[in-house]
Amino acid sequence: MISARLGHANLGLGVGLRTVHFNYILQNQPAVDWFEVISENFMDSGGRPRYVLDQVAEQYPVVMHGVSMSIGSTDPLNFDYLGKLKRLADSVKARWVSDHLCWTGVAALNTHDLLPIPLNEETLAHVAGRVRTVQEYLERPLVLENPSSYVTFADSTMSEWEFLSRLADEANCGLLLDVNNVYVSSVNHDFDPAEYIRSVPHERVVQFHIAGHTHCKTHIIDTHDDHVIDPVWALYRLAHELTGGVSTLLEWDARIPEFPVVHAEVLKARRYMDAELAPAEDIAVVVPATQRRESQKRGRDLENAKGPVPVFGTRASVPHPLSFIVPEVA
Amino acid sequence: MQKVQSPFSGRMQSLDQIQRWMQTVIMNMGGARAGVASDAAQEVIGVAAYHIEQVVTRSRALDAFDRLDIYNRSYFARLIDCLREEFPAVRHAVGDEAFDAFALGYLRQYPSRSYTLNDLGKHFGDYLLESRPDDGGGEAGGVDLGDFITDLATLEQTYAEVFDGPGVEGQRLLSEEQLAKVPAERWLEARLMPVVCLRLLSLRYPVHRYFSAVRAEKNPPYPRPRATYLAVTRRQYVIRRFQLTREQFTLLAALVGGETIGTAIERVAHSPRAKLDALADKLRRWFTSWTAEGFFERVELGPT
Repeated sequence: MISARLGHANLGLGVGLRTVHFNYILQNQPAVDWFEVISENFMDSGGRPRYVLDQVAEQYPVVMHGVSMSIGSTDPLNFDYLGKLKRLADSVKARWVSDHLCWTGVAALNTHDLLPIPLNEETLAHVAGRVRTVQEYLERPLVLENPSSYVTFADSTMSEWEFLSRLADEANCGLLLDVNNVYVSSVNHDFDPAEYIRSVPHERVVQFHIAGHTHCKTHIIDTHDDHVIDPVWALYRLAHELTGGVSTLLEWDARIPEFPVVHAEVLKARRYMDAELAPAEDIAVVVPATQRRESQKRGRDLENAKGPVPVFGTRASVPHPLSFIVPEVA
Repeated sequence: MQKVQSPFSGRMQSLDQIQRWMQTVIMNMGGARAGVASDAAQEVIGVAAYHIEQVVTRSRALDAFDRLDIYNRSYFARLIDCLREEFPAVRHAVGDEAFDAFALGYLRQYPSRSYTLNDLGKHFGDYLLESRPDDGGGEAGGVDLGDFITDLATLEQTYAEVFDGPGVEGQRLLSEEQLAKVPAERWLEARLMPVVCLRLLSLRYPVHRYFSAVRAEKNPPYPRPRATYLAVTRRQYVIRRFQLTREQFTLLAALVGGETIGTAIERVAHSPRAKLDALADKLRRWFTSWTAEGFFERVELGPT
């Protein structure tokens, strides 16, 4: 019998800790339930980012979310990286450590993207073995997130939810169910997102992610640059019902508004936690008209930018993560 | 990983093959179609364009190449965006188009091998130096553009390194009182240990002024060449920079290099004897000022 959330607490409604909000958070100590940090932004930091994290960790529960473990890669695991990850987790008393079901590079290169894997028995055995190794090294369960993806492979023999379910069972790891990613991938790969949500092992879901995205008519890019849309909230409601409620985190990584706006966005989740409330599609989600227009325009820009020439200056159309910190100079 | 022969024999590709192939495709500057057709990709999975769906499937709305192109475009756009963030003054100096061209060349020459994007621009200055044309990269109003942007990149890279690298916040540093307590007879054999975040730069252009003007959202002209010496450090998590004279730079560089105060002073005391008194006076002021600014962690005296 597996305990709900693998025994982890439901931390409530959290927000991703981002550089642009550092001063606001230190000065105002907002009533956020918890923060999630991008592990790689802090594991080597000896400067202000790490100072801010230490301050935040003294006052809030902190969860670490990584983008470079590359658990699906055929390159060897990077134990130097894992060592730093472990030290940071111990130092900030991270409630858990998560990363993505993906690979980021091979042949010692890093594309800094969350790349999809073919979903078949070979990959499952490979990833499950690596997850077990990582968990043994970190001395804690790993929590893996379903990434947004834009291609599928002819060699896949199972659905992503089946793969995740079997992986979680075989490697005894936790799941970070990114509800927005389920929606994004469902549009990109033509599947039913509700079936995905219903099919994952709910007792292993430790955390939810919610976020905004950019719809490009033919596909969706996971840009984390806008409000959460109604269909994603509807999936969130379903996921909440099926899991009994788990820690929920809003990601906002591009065109980041002021902290109160980000915080208010995650607090909307409360509306979807009560089954007595109206269905999600009846709940108005206020998105400023200007932001809608900008978002749609970028979608068109990206769609029109097909062809061999790489598109630059499309920051908002670039899938996350943009884990980079700009220095402050006196 | 089990390796199989042909993608079209009905057998599956190994995970390793698929990853090497996909990485090659999405890192191809010509886009996914060119990437699939490239020799490097064909060596891993020899698939013709019309058979691409035997490797990557299509969706209702997009074919396999369109879908691969999302990753291809994102790869370049994301990393160029990061370089733009790290080198805003270089970008301003050369303009978006030229900067993106530099960035593309850089990514081809120095693809990321680190788990963190904070390392992405580590070799950008080196790349600019290595890739400058024989004529230096052009000249505008007496400004050698190659030298200028290389210096600018060096400065911006130094800022990034000092900002997020190890520092001495919360540590007790060498105080003026401690410095004053060094016995006069042991002064020359003493070593001043620099703080871990102190960097010294010798540049051909006063790029720090240009950088500040860009940060202030001005549109500065290219500065005229002038030998420029800077000390860059960090206090209370904020980068601080100090303009130095050549003498100061020489002295500090010797100290940072581990030389004794006596040896370091010899490097700047080439003046006629008449000027040595003035130098001694300057040295007192410099050491006091640098100590007050937190350049030194401690003073070390050799065994008595």
